[in-house]
Amino acid sequence: MNLTRKAQMALRDSMTLEDALPTKMPIYVNSMAYLFGVSALSALGMLGITGIVMAAFGPGWYHVSKLGHFVNSLHFWSVQVFFGAIVLHGLTKFFMAAWRDGRWKTWMIGVLAFGIIVFTGLTGFLSQTNWDSQWIAVQAKDAMNALGVGAFFNTMDTTQVLTLHVVVLPLFVVALVGVHLFLIRHDSPVRPLPGKEDGEK
Amino acid sequence: MSKKSEATLRGIPMRPYDLLREGLIVLAILAVIIVVLAVVFSSPDYPTVRGEDVAKVQPIAYLTTAANILAGNSSIEGYGPPYTSDTANAQEILGIAPANWFGVTIPIDPAQDLVLNPLARVAVLDKDVSGALQTYQSATSDQQQAWLKAYLAALDKATEDGGKVQLPAGDYGPVAALMDGMLNLGRAGLLEGALESGSRLPYMLDSTRSLLYFQDAVDQGVADSLDLLGEQWGLGHETGSYPGAWWLWPYTFLYQVPPMSTSDNGDLQVGVIMLAFFVFLLLIPFIPIINRLPRWLGVYKLIWRDWYRRQG
Repeated sequence: MNLTRKAQMALRDSMTLEDALPTKMPIYVNSMAYLFGVSALSALGMLGITGIVMAAFGPGWYHVSKLGHFVNSLHFWSVQVFFGAIVLHGLTKFFMAAWRDGRWKTWMIGVLAFGIIVFTGLTGFLSQTNWDSQWIAVQAKDAMNALGVGAFFNTMDTTQVLTLHVVVLPLFVVALVGVHLFLIRHDSPVRPLPGKEDGEK
Repeated sequence: MSKKSEATLRGIPMRPYDLLREGLIVLAILAVIIVVLAVVFSSPDYPTVRGEDVAKVQPIAYLTTAANILAGNSSIEGYGPPYTSDTANAQEILGIAPANWFGVTIPIDPAQDLVLNPLARVAVLDKDVSGALQTYQSATSDQQQAWLKAYLAALDKATEDGGKVQLPAGDYGPVAALMDGMLNLGRAGLLEGALESGSRLPYMLDSTRSLLYFQDAVDQGVADSLDLLGEQWGLGHETGSYPGAWWLWPYTFLYQVPPMSTSDNGDLQVGVIMLAFFVFLLLIPFIPIINRLPRWLGVYKLIWRDWYRRQG
C-alpha cells in the first residue's frame, strides 16, 4: 500500500485546482449574500496583519506611540467589521439552509470557529492593558470561575491571556477556517431551495 | 471538479468567475473602510486604575479597601475555588457546582497576601509600621477585629484635607499606623509591585492580585461613572461611545432578566444557557422544525431571486 499515492488520489477526488481556485460559478451564485464570507475572510486578514505588527512591537507599544495607537485602531475596527461580516454570513447561510445535501459539516465547523473567535475576542479585550481590560478581567472571572473554566483560564493572568490571544487561539481559528473553506470548495455552493414551481408547499 | 461538485452542479449553467479578483476587491474596499474608521474614530485607551491613583485621588476609598480586606470583608473572602477552599459560596445549579470541581488553583489569602505581606515589606523601611505590625500580629483575633471595626467606622466620618486623611479620635490600636503604611505604599506607586512580589520576579507575569485589589467599591465606582456596570450591558460597549463586544448582547441581555439578574448563581445560569445555545447553533441542521424554518421564512427567495426569475 503506497500511502502517498492514496493521498494523491484522495486529494484529486476531493479538491481539484478548479475547486480550489474556481474560474466559473453556478449561475445562482449571484447575490450580495455571497460577499459576507469573503468579507469576513478579508477582515480576518486585516486582523492578522495588524495583529502581527502589534505583536512584533509588544503589548505596551500602542499606549506610548502614535503609530502604535493607529495600528491598534486598525485592529479594533477590523474586529468590529469582522464580527459584522461573520454575523451576516451566518444569518444568510441560515436563511439559505446552507447545510443541505451533506453540508452539515461545513455549518458545524463554521459555528465551532465562531465560538473560538468569540473567545479570541474576549482575550483581545483582556489584552488591552487599559481600564477596559482591567474591568472586563474582574467581571469575566466570575463567569469563568462559575463554569469551572477559571481553574485553567485566569482572566487576570495577563501573560496567559496574551499568549492565548496572539498564538494559541488564532492557530485554532485559522485551522478551522481552513477546514471550513476546504469543505465549501469541495462541496460547491449549495443549490437554491426548491421554489413553488418545483413543487414546494 | 470534485465528485461532489460535479454531482451538485450537473445541469446547472455556469458563469465566468475570478475568485482572486473578487477577494482582492473586497479586501481593498474593507481595508479602506477600516482605515477611514481608524483615522476618524481612533480607538479607546482609557488609563488603568492604579494603586497610586487611588491613594492620591481617593485616599479614604483606598484606606477603606485595605481595611476591609484586612478585616475579612472583601469579596474574595470565602469566594471559594479557584481562590479559597470555602466551597459553600460556589455558584450551583441543582447542587452541581463546576467551580468546585478543580479545587483551589490560584490560592489567595486576602488579608495575608493583599495587606500583611505588603506591610511586611513596608516594615523594612518604616519602624512605625514594623512596630504596629508586631503589635497587630501578636493581638488576639477578637482584638484585631475590634480595632478594625472601630477604624472602618471612623473612616465613614473621616475628612480629607490636601491628601491628608483626618480621622476622629478613637481606639484603633496599631491599625491606623498599618493603614498609613499601606497608603504610603500606594502613594509611592509600589502597591502593585508589593502585591505581585510572590510571582517570578523580576518578571511580573501575572496581575491577579493587583486586579483583584480594587475590584469591589473602587472599580465599581469607576465603572458606574463610565456606564460599564453589568446592568448597563457591561461588555457590550467600551469606554466613551466606542462599540465593544456587541456580538455578546444575547449574553449580557440574560444578565438583565430574572432569575439571572437577581440570583446568586446568575453567572452559572447565564453560562449554561449560552453553552446550550451554542450546542443548539451547532445542531441546527438536525433539529426538526428549526431546520425547516428557512423554507417558511422565505428570505432565500430574495437571495436567489435571479435564479427563480430565470426558472420561471
